[in-house]
Amino acid sequence: MRSNGLTRTPYYVLTGGLAILFLFPLLWSAVASVSGQPGTAQASGYGFGNYSTLFNYGAGLGQYILNSTIVSVLTVGLTLSVSLLGGYAFAAFAFPGRDALFLLTLAILMVPYATLLIPLYVVLKDLGLQDSLVGLSLVLALFQLPFATFMMRISFEAVPRELEESALVDGCGSFGVLRRILLPAVRPGIITVGLFAFLAAWNDFIAPLILISDSTKQPLPLAIATLRQQTMGVIDYGATEAGVVVLAAPCLVAFLLLQRHYVRGFMSGAIKG
Amino acid sequence: MKQSLGKTLLAALAVIAVGCSSSQATPTAAPVTGAPVTQASATTAAASQAAAWQGKDDGTKLTMWTRAATEARARPIVQAYNASHKNQIDLTVVPTDDYQAKVGAAAGAGGLPDLFSADVVFMPNWTSAGLFTDITSRINSLPFLDKIAPAHIKVSTWQGKEYGLPFVIDLSIWMYNKKLFKQAGLDPDKPPTTLGEFEADARAVAKLGGNIHGTFFGGNCGGCEVFTWWPIAWADGQQVMNADGTQSLLNSDENKAIYKVFRDMVNDGTVLMPDSKTETGPTWTGYFLKGNIGIMPWPATLVGVENPSLSLSDVGITPIAGVNGGQSTFVGGDAVGISRDSKVVDQAWNFLAWLEGDDAQINVIAKQGSVVARSDLANNQYTATDPRLVLFNQIAAKGQTPFALKFGQTFNDPNGPWLVLLREAVFGDPSKIDADNNALNASLQP
Amino acid sequence: MATTRTPAKPSLLVSWLGWRRFRQVQGIGYAVPVAVYVVVLFVMPLLLVGRMSLSDWQLLTGDRGVNFPRDFTSFSTNTLFWPAVVFTIEYTILVTILLIGLGLGLALVVQESGRWVGFLRTSFLLPGAIGLATASLLAWGFYSPSIGPISPPLEQLGLINSPIQFLGTSLSSLLSTTLLIVWKYSGFYMLILLVGLQSISPEVLEAAALDGAGRWQIFRYITLPLLRPSLALSLILCITGSLLAFDQFYILTKGGPDNTTITVVQLIYREAFQRTNLGTAAALSIMVLAVLLVLNVFQFRGLRFGRAG
Repeated sequence: MRSNGLTRTPYYVLTGGLAILFLFPLLWSAVASVSGQPGTAQASGYGFGNYSTLFNYGAGLGQYILNSTIVSVLTVGLTLSVSLLGGYAFAAFAFPGRDALFLLTLAILMVPYATLLIPLYVVLKDLGLQDSLVGLSLVLALFQLPFATFMMRISFEAVPRELEESALVDGCGSFGVLRRILLPAVRPGIITVGLFAFLAAWNDFIAPLILISDSTKQPLPLAIATLRQQTMGVIDYGATEAGVVVLAAPCLVAFLLLQRHYVRGFMSGAIKG
Repeated sequence: MKQSLGKTLLAALAVIAVGCSSSQATPTAAPVTGAPVTQASATTAAASQAAAWQGKDDGTKLTMWTRAATEARARPIVQAYNASHKNQIDLTVVPTDDYQAKVGAAAGAGGLPDLFSADVVFMPNWTSAGLFTDITSRINSLPFLDKIAPAHIKVSTWQGKEYGLPFVIDLSIWMYNKKLFKQAGLDPDKPPTTLGEFEADARAVAKLGGNIHGTFFGGNCGGCEVFTWWPIAWADGQQVMNADGTQSLLNSDENKAIYKVFRDMVNDGTVLMPDSKTETGPTWTGYFLKGNIGIMPWPATLVGVENPSLSLSDVGITPIAGVNGGQSTFVGGDAVGISRDSKVVDQAWNFLAWLEGDDAQINVIAKQGSVVARSDLANNQYTATDPRLVLFNQIAAKGQTPFALKFGQTFNDPNGPWLVLLREAVFGDPSKIDADNNALNASLQP
Repeated sequence: MATTRTPAKPSLLVSWLGWRRFRQVQGIGYAVPVAVYVVVLFVMPLLLVGRMSLSDWQLLTGDRGVNFPRDFTSFSTNTLFWPAVVFTIEYTILVTILLIGLGLGLALVVQESGRWVGFLRTSFLLPGAIGLATASLLAWGFYSPSIGPISPPLEQLGLINSPIQFLGTSLSSLLSTTLLIVWKYSGFYMLILLVGLQSISPEVLEAAALDGAGRWQIFRYITLPLLRPSLALSLILCITGSLLAFDQFYILTKGGPDNTTITVVQLIYREAFQRTNLGTAAALSIMVLAVLLVLNVFQFRGLRFGRAG
């Protein structure tokens, strides 16, 4: 693309300013979590007092992080396996009911989250999975399915048809084709889906609220929400900011590490002009 | 964020200390056997009576839920129980605003824990929905039943059956800054005894100017006003609703007079604005702690009050008074009961019986500075230290807990009709109060 | 898409079914996990929601019998219903225009490759990495008159007299919340539109320039039409997401001040958990779902998929 006609310096200033605007709230959050606030564990000066409030809260920060990690890993695994097979099915095969099933999967996006939670609670109880991290992961993966299946489908569709056909002609079963040819080709899509699923599972608050009762099984966002509403009339801003940082940090790190693949995942095939 | 009424920061109600009473009240029920009682069998009978009213402590694991807002006081109680009993309670704390959602979801699927506490104003709704086990006979077997503050039990009663006992008690009082009073030319040892005096004192302090204001209230928080304005009407012997909570009297002349006082103070700058108008509840008590508010309602506690901006000796307290005098308070907090899904009722009851007993009330609740539920324990070693703590306990006897089936969705709901009415009355057009009250009535219908 | 050539060594199954049929069966096989998942965890609960909307179903006491159509008609007397609908639509229009406009602008900026552009792209995308609830908590602290980075410093510098109340009036609440959403999601839409931009072949644009078309004309008559699928996808996601907005308002404003920022989903939540009426909550959910279905059917027409069938 041609340059936009501006000379370089104003361009850098303008875009740099824009970037700073976007990054500022995140940076501020980190600073606020270590700066002094009267009424918090870090009353003055800079330090990690707020983090120690967080650390010692309830069953201990470590337990909550462990719970969140388990839930996130399970959700990513479930989402990837189901959407991979489903995306392959939608992209590579023609079978009766294909479009209907695809649209049904996408329709999950159109139902308000809160609406499904109570019936899901009942369904999970019938399956014997209430108050379990596995049950929670099943629910979180469900809400990832529309985006995940869509992404996997367009990723598979972007693979040149000849690649697949020649493999089939050579005697590979469809599963072999999937495993050896297509999987490496859709890697960016897989990473994108995995990343999104991780972010959603790590950050979700309402599903664990309704579905988890055992205090030791609470994931991190739930614990921080409880911490914030803990005492009436005074908010521990410092601890809340520390909570925001602890919640956001893994997401930002994961995002930065996988960014290359994420962007490529969107680019792969994607929407044809 | 915030919510409901009667949330104290950290309960700091030390009970008035008197000589410690060490012995437990002896059971007063008749011995089990009908035959003539010998010395030995009387003792055994008495012993088994004692055991019966206390439930079973046999090492069962119990589950319990409580709200985040009262966690600071609930957790030590549970910990003390676990330390001294074979039964062990696993306590889950739920974010306050979402407590009802969670209880509802669990109720629908038979997943309620053994024990759970409830904001007292929610008890009528939850007892009538059948969420709790009937413990009437167990409550009646408590030897010290007549000494337990009745408000929480009354509000946990539905159709003659009792379902709950007091767990954490919150009261409301007026707290004033003696230093600012002195500066304003007021006598720091003569707090207001009527609403009119409250207004005059607040105005006097407001005249000091700068960042000093006369008073503050949470103007975007329905629960805050329930907690702090309703006692004014009660002190005058007036009511805010009818007895069964199906009709609102919040547009009565008495209540309109109360709204007018606050509206006038808003309009002449006595009230700290715009913070009063935007305060939704999470930080309403923090304003007094900054040391530049003259007098405002506050939870009856001294814990956490002292800070670099405010010394404890400058803090004065006085009961909430009515337009014409009198005294009252809002008896809030949490009640606790055994859920209908519990399979270990005897063991769960063991916790409740212990909770109302001397050991828990004095050595845990009074020690942490909270109001005790037992009037006979009001004087104990922990309350001897400060006459202000004496007052807290005395005022509890003059307070009320309102009863309404649809309390939460009428008065606590941030989108509900009570908040609309009070904001109209104080910040908007007071001629709309009657119309707004109709919405209140509609919402209160069962 | 089915291949037209059969493999060199057809298996018995293939010979029996015929290649086309075999592929169909295989497709169904791969689709089974999705199908089972969707049926058990989506369709069944949805049917339950439908059933709730036909009954007097309370949160605490359960199903109390059929009461159709009262769950649906009860909203005609709910004074918050129409304001919530109007507000949700207003909010949706505002956010969609801003997000897609800004997304397009950002996409045009980060089209080239290079280190600086890479840094820009990362900065714009980064806010999207944290969850919406976390972002709302962050915004809540950010807008706070006591610890936020905007109001207190301005006060200290003496530039303003009293703290800025970002959430004090209905307009400021709307704008503050919109700002949060725009901050968080611009990067995402930038990415979608970037993909669309990348797929426009440079030759087309160069040819147009050679023919004498100005930059704006190229943009309007060539670029935009070729971006149609990306724009359509962005519109679908943005409109659907905004109509279903809840988290940010629940955390920042709770529908206030004075019930001026209540969204439709907040009403649903309120019906279910404040007024403990699952029947009416379900009825409202069904109505919202119906509206979204209709809207999205229209919008899907603008979206074309790759190889299919």
